[in-house]
Amino acid sequence: MSPGLPRSLQGRLLAGLLGAVVVVWLAAGLATWQDARHELDELLDGHLAQAAALLVAQQAGATDEHAPGIDAPQLHHYAPRVAFQVWHEGRLALRSANAPATPMVGAEALARSAPATAARPGRHAERLRGHGDRGTPDDAGDFRLGFHTVALADSDWRVFTAQGAERDVQVFVGEQLSSRRAILWAVLRSTLWPLALALPLLALVIWAVVRQGTAPLRRLGQQLARRAPQALAPLPLEGLPTEMLPPLAALNGLFERITAMVETERRFTADAAHELRTPIAAIRTQAQVALAETDDGERRHALRATLAGCDRATRLVDQLLTLSRLEAGAAPPMATLDLGALAQRVAAELAPGALRRRQTLGLDAAPGCTVQGNDTLLAVLLRNLVDNALRYSPDGAEVRLSVQPLAGGVQLRVEDSGPGLAEAERQRLGERFFRVLGSGQSGSGLGWSIVRRIAAAHGARVDVDRAEALGGLSVTVHWPAPAPG
Amino acid sequence: MRILLAEDDTLLGDGLRAGLRQAGFQVDWVRDGAAAERELRAQPYAAAVLDLGLPLMDGMDVLASVRRAGVTLPVLVLTARDAVPDRIRGLDSGADDYVVKPIDLDELAARLRALVRRAHGQPQETLQAQGVCLDPAGRSVTRDGQPVALSAREFDLLQALMLSAGRVLSREQLEQQLYSWGREVESNAVEVHVHHLRKKLGAELIQTVRGVGYLLPRDGDTP
Repeated sequence: MSPGLPRSLQGRLLAGLLGAVVVVWLAAGLATWQDARHELDELLDGHLAQAAALLVAQQAGATDEHAPGIDAPQLHHYAPRVAFQVWHEGRLALRSANAPATPMVGAEALARSAPATAARPGRHAERLRGHGDRGTPDDAGDFRLGFHTVALADSDWRVFTAQGAERDVQVFVGEQLSSRRAILWAVLRSTLWPLALALPLLALVIWAVVRQGTAPLRRLGQQLARRAPQALAPLPLEGLPTEMLPPLAALNGLFERITAMVETERRFTADAAHELRTPIAAIRTQAQVALAETDDGERRHALRATLAGCDRATRLVDQLLTLSRLEAGAAPPMATLDLGALAQRVAAELAPGALRRRQTLGLDAAPGCTVQGNDTLLAVLLRNLVDNALRYSPDGAEVRLSVQPLAGGVQLRVEDSGPGLAEAERQRLGERFFRVLGSGQSGSGLGWSIVRRIAAAHGARVDVDRAEALGGLSVTVHWPAPAPG
Repeated sequence: MRILLAEDDTLLGDGLRAGLRQAGFQVDWVRDGAAAERELRAQPYAAAVLDLGLPLMDGMDVLASVRRAGVTLPVLVLTARDAVPDRIRGLDSGADDYVVKPIDLDELAARLRALVRRAHGQPQETLQAQGVCLDPAGRSVTRDGQPVALSAREFDLLQALMLSAGRVLSREQLEQQLYSWGREVESNAVEVHVHHLRKKLGAELIQTVRGVGYLLPRDGDTP
């Protein structure tokens, strides 16, 4: 926004409209001025020529008088602005009182200005001459018929020069140019004055109309300002001007997205509260039971449960920390590593637990399956996948872990013979704290979020499906072929 | 007193069951919402402890469903959701108490006792009838100020009768209120306990309504 413009829409519209009106008025005034001047020039030039014609006609019968006469009756207050001279044989035969004693148009001025001014002598001049060729030099030297603009005494004059019936008679009729200007000014004044007077009124009307037009905007502003910060209901669009609809529709869309975000956040908080409080509640309850229990066997049971609760809380804290580190978004240091070797390490780690539950954990790793990745994070991913498979499968179940090259990339697959998941549940896996209900296992639902985030950080894709061979769940993590170059 | 515990978390459920048993309750433990709803409709529990995040059916839905079915037992909602709107929603859906995890076992037991007492229209902490005074919190009984030693079953039976003083309870009703699942009930267990109670507290305390059940008259009902 340029600093010169008013900040308010109303101010801008008012300034713009008024400015445009003034410019249009001035242009109209200029056009009127031009037109009026043209018409006025034609009219007054006509009068000059007419006056000259009269003088010529009158002089035809009076050239014999040798005494120079002064025709002085001033019949009209306009008269001082008009002057005439009649020259005969180089002498001033007749003149008006305000005419000078020398020719109003000097010989050199006549010669200089003749071609330009004689170009438009007007109809009167044509008729006046009646005969002869006005462009042809004649006996009177270079005296020409026509209009001249000359400076006499203290003002500019418009002078019409004509030749009498006899060649040595010259007639000059002049008029002060300032009088023409005065008429023009009067015309222009009468045109512009009403407009100038109307301008404030117009400004008032424009202001009121613009104010009326921008009222919906102000109402919207007040409506938004009155809103409670938590209010995210869409704004009503009925009855609003069409120009306001796109931004308001966008605003409503924003409200909708924020509502959804707040809802997700609220659900997350509720789920997190459940996941964090329940293990602590369990520990507290079991410890209290152990404290009050008199039966030895029951007390030992409660104490073991207390320890199990502590292990669970520890795992939960670890998972939360891992997740928060992943969500912090710091890119982990990557290196080329053998996924098969890593899978072997993790499987070895988890095998004892599986054996205790008579579960079979098998690994099938093709040699040379390398990926770009972070050793620690990929170990976490593998541990989560294998641990999930073992945890949610019954005693005696089978879990197969395989690492194979696929389409230039590498594919890691963990399959189990557990109960598997329904389609709807498979789709929700990976939502933080989403837990498959009724599994009888005390998971937090964070494992899947972690798996997905680690995979995303490595550019790998996670697919969950039914295990064809084992009947349980099959999880596939696929690293695409590294980009060439 | 027999109560239903609906909690899907294995460790917490196990602990709550053990703790509430220590406090003298008979506890039936279910781990999903559907089972909770089924049992609440079928059995005459004295009260229920209901977790909200239950599998198969949310605790709130269980509550709404059993309330619609006319089940009036006191329900204590035990949950991790502590946001005020959640609490309000819980209480408005028919919960009698709303407790956020973790909770002290003694407090939970006390709240349950208070809920049961109020549900029976007994504002007093102790139950009284014909000079017999029963203290549910201390699990002790006195007759004319003198302590009387009762077995756990005898205490539970007396408490059930005193809570419903003035109403006849059938033998089946009493059995259902006294025994949680998996406890073998001998066919004449109630008769035996009533017999012992009469011996310890006086023959007139508990009256037999032949073919119907037992009745503990309210003070003022007897001449």
